[in-house]
Amino acid sequence: MIDSIRRLGRFGCNALESFGRAGGFLFLSAFAVPSREGFGLWLRQMHFVGVLSLAIVLVSGLFIGMVLALQGYTILVDFGAEQALGQMVALSLLRELAPVVAALLFAGRAGSALTAEIGLMKATEQLSSMEMIGVDPLRRVVAPRLWAGFVALPLLTVGFSVVGIWGGYLVGVEWLGGFEGSYWGNMQSSVEFLDDVGNGMIKSMVFAVVVTWIAVFQGYDLIPTSEGISRATTRTVVYSSLAVLGLDFVLTAIMFGGLS
Amino acid sequence: MKRSKAMELGVGLFMLAGILGLVFLGLRVSGMTLTSGDTFRLEANFANIGSLKPRARVTMAGVTVGRVSAIELDTEWYDARVVMELDSDLEGELSRDTTAAILTAGLLGEQYVGLSMGGDPEMLVEGDTIRDTQSAVVLEELIQQFVSNMISD
Amino acid sequence: MSDTPFVVVEGLHFSRGETEIFRGVDLQVPRGKMTAIMGPSGSGKTTLLKLIGGQLQPDAGRVLIEGENIHAQSRKALFAMRRRMGMLFQSGALFSDLSVFENVAFPLRVHTDLPEAMVRDLVLMKLEAVGLRGARDLMPAELSGGMTRRVALARAIALDPQLILYDEPFVGQDPISMGVLVQLIKRLNEALGLTSVVVSHDIKETLSIVDYVYLISDGQVMAHGTPKSLDVNQDPRVRQFVHGEPDGPVPFHYPAKDYFSDILDAGVSS
Repeated sequence: MIDSIRRLGRFGCNALESFGRAGGFLFLSAFAVPSREGFGLWLRQMHFVGVLSLAIVLVSGLFIGMVLALQGYTILVDFGAEQALGQMVALSLLRELAPVVAALLFAGRAGSALTAEIGLMKATEQLSSMEMIGVDPLRRVVAPRLWAGFVALPLLTVGFSVVGIWGGYLVGVEWLGGFEGSYWGNMQSSVEFLDDVGNGMIKSMVFAVVVTWIAVFQGYDLIPTSEGISRATTRTVVYSSLAVLGLDFVLTAIMFGGLS
Repeated sequence: MKRSKAMELGVGLFMLAGILGLVFLGLRVSGMTLTSGDTFRLEANFANIGSLKPRARVTMAGVTVGRVSAIELDTEWYDARVVMELDSDLEGELSRDTTAAILTAGLLGEQYVGLSMGGDPEMLVEGDTIRDTQSAVVLEELIQQFVSNMISD
Repeated sequence: MSDTPFVVVEGLHFSRGETEIFRGVDLQVPRGKMTAIMGPSGSGKTTLLKLIGGQLQPDAGRVLIEGENIHAQSRKALFAMRRRMGMLFQSGALFSDLSVFENVAFPLRVHTDLPEAMVRDLVLMKLEAVGLRGARDLMPAELSGGMTRRVALARAIALDPQLILYDEPFVGQDPISMGVLVQLIKRLNEALGLTSVVVSHDIKETLSIVDYVYLISDGQVMAHGTPKSLDVNQDPRVRQFVHGEPDGPVPFHYPAKDYFSDILDAGVSS
């Protein structure tokens, strides 16, 4: 009994210690003065983290948009409200689905890749040797990846929304026979750029910081063995997903729940 | 540090696509217009605003001509003062006896302000107050009216 | 050419978590010579190199490089000191996203402002010294283990350092690469007048090239001397290590209870 309490206490202390390390880590890396070739490094990471995630994000966006329209149409038609399909698809995507699902996909694809890459560099002592040569690995390895994540995820979210709304159009108008004018017209009159698109983007930016931070920190902090790497990769995906969903609730409550 | 041309191009396209997507979301999805944002201010007092919210539409003959910018309690008359921002094209075009009514879009939809032109030769300018207003229809009062009508029959 | 040692370690104490790794280590690395630090596995030899290189902070004690305490330096001063040091890691630790050429050029680009043409010449010279000039455009993933180490060596000498630290350079090498590496390390040390510190547990190869040896065990220096003197040293711990005896102060048997009673118990209990 006492043992379990002690273990719980130790777990809590370790978690808090980790969190503190992670915070210092973020502060030191994100605000590190960029090195001379910093832009080139960032660009390369933008490719690995952003461009290579396009496929999964856009395809998922398309399917989710189409499913939304499909399900939505069958439900709305019962109320004679099928002209509201456009605004339903758009609002669901912009406010919730695009930022959250894009962030989850990003955590799974790019996040785990980041963790594994940095972890492998740690395990093969590349980070150590970089330090010995006199280069701060936080500047050269971590910072470009952080900033690439911060920029790439919001862009991916935009892509997700656009493709999803278009997918909803394909299903709702082209396939199920809804009226094209009312799909776009009702959407336009009920979607507020600042409120809906803007808040969605804010969510996405918050998620970008959290997911990239977790991914990069787990890679940097792990035990440098192959088992350590695989555990850290799993942790990245799990922690990121939980964080995204939890933060989504908090942000939604603040933005749309009138709890300002 | 190898920085292939293809990679730069790819990232550039990616970012451009993102920005264009944002523009698409702005214009096509949220229906923002590129016209100038010049507006002029009018106020109107209502006995009951129902569920009118700030940023609600202000229309005339069904056409959106502005937005509700603020709703406050008028401490002089103890009714609701609604402040509206209207397209500056209409400044000096609306007669002083223009009416403002709080209407509902559809059966259960959001509430908005509908303006109706009057016949007064004098026009409304920046900061004026619309005198003739019609409050929102509150369902409970309607039912009560209906019930009392039935009883009196 | 002064006679003071290049590296001095005084009273080094270091613990990782709850385990005490070093309990007062003193050693001196003479200038221009090759010094080995050896000991059984797990005696913290890599940690010692990291402490010498300034990557880890000791709990107590000092590490002096040419008289300067490496842990008391400002960032700029540390950066300048690192320029004079090279380190060869056990796994080579080449940057996997850069080619062989770019890897060797890396320290040059970081520490100097030399024009690209000069950098190219220097890189090719270093690669020639390790015999891999023709492999300059390969990626680390395409190299064999021995080649990786040689490229890492070229990178370590890119800035013509005065001190090189070798972390287990002979581990896992086939006889040919082993021979090549041993020769390279020896020749470089002589040709460039380097001070080398080799951490290893490979007796035969290491003792054949170094000038002085420190044996570390149980967190302290167990013995030190020239290879010849250690060969005839009568201390049982030294004897066991140097001659590779399977049993001695480091026991063969993992602690267990008495053999007979263990076997008999197994028969009795069900």
